[in-house]
Amino acid sequence: MATSEEIEGMIARCALGDRAAFAALYQATSSKLFGICLRILRERSEAEDALQEVYLRVWRKAESYVAGGPSPMAWLSTVTRNLAIDRLRAKAPPADELEDAPELVAKGPTPEQSAVAAGEAARIGACLGELEPDRAGAVRGAYLEGASYTELAGHYGVPLNTMRTWLRRSLIKLKECLER
Amino acid sequence: MTEQATYDEDDIALAGEYVLRLLSAEEVAGFEARLAAEPGLRLLVTEWQEGLSSLADEVEETPPAALWRRIEAAAHGADQAAGQRRGLPLWGWLTGGLAAALVAVAVFFAIDPSPAVAPTHQARIAAEDGSLTVLAALSPEGELHVIRESGGPRPGRALELWLIADGAPAPVSLGVFPEADDFRVPLPEALRAGFTGGTLAISDEPPGGSPTGAPTGDVLAAAPVQTL
Repeated sequence: MATSEEIEGMIARCALGDRAAFAALYQATSSKLFGICLRILRERSEAEDALQEVYLRVWRKAESYVAGGPSPMAWLSTVTRNLAIDRLRAKAPPADELEDAPELVAKGPTPEQSAVAAGEAARIGACLGELEPDRAGAVRGAYLEGASYTELAGHYGVPLNTMRTWLRRSLIKLKECLER
Repeated sequence: MTEQATYDEDDIALAGEYVLRLLSAEEVAGFEARLAAEPGLRLLVTEWQEGLSSLADEVEETPPAALWRRIEAAAHGADQAAGQRRGLPLWGWLTGGLAAALVAVAVFFAIDPSPAVAPTHQARIAAEDGSLTVLAALSPEGELHVIRESGGPRPGRALELWLIADGAPAPVSLGVFPEADDFRVPLPEALRAGFTGGTLAISDEPPGGSPTGAPTGDVLAAAPVQTL
């Protein structure tokens, strides 16, 4: 696993047109970014197209990464989520699709398991663990599946406004925990 | 606690919703207008991006090997097109194509089918839109059997088959397709070695094949080689 500094260096060299750095960046980060695409888009071919778009954007816009902003992995994840969610919403799935979709929270480790994982993941996992399971699940669903308020409300069977109130309260608690 | 202390819970939640992409288009526009003017709010967004990003650690999945070649080709091919004349084909390997230029283009000749032997490598090279599908199988004796299942060259053009060996700087021509839709071509051992982990691609070329030894036309289809 490349360190944050190493990844930052790779991005910086991409901005200079260094192809070897681009290859190294892909090697170091593509599994995580592909996982994000796949989770949001669910179809492999869609996820592959999205990942291609992500790396082309990174290659061409590497200079837009500002050191001192988010960590390089957070920046790459943000670019990836945004592109994947754009694709997801451009497809405009019927609102009831979520009913047939796999469980929002069933996949992946529980917050407790996440907390066991090394590094920063422990922090967000532990903080989500402080929320009620449904509410933590909604945050994960929004982040990992790119679920909208409408979809989350449908999934949890609550009115849209209630969903929003829940989620906003969860975010405030989460932020407080993350800063502790 | 530093700058973010000046932001209330409403803004903390709003920044989180923004990062999660939960806001409506109207709300996003309003929030982004504020972001442009408020460094502290930008910091909140960064903190959310940071805090949430490790959630994705649990979803890692290795992308297929062929995808990297596609991305590399698109990235570097596009550089070439941008740097030179417009409409240049998207072949990323072109810039490193000197090696390929040294390889003579061999024209395929249709050979009578020989008894079937289990191939050591194979690939199904299909265009994304289904307009061209070609099967290629390499026999243990080093004979490449190519079957054009569907599609053909554009009018007045030819199809050329290329091998991109794993890690190779440039594609190597395996020859120009004859008119027959089923043919075999013997390959020298040096080329056969590149099949394991390699990629086969078909490009659109002038009659007789690429004049330069490197692909000059559109890539019509490409596929990773499967080792059997």
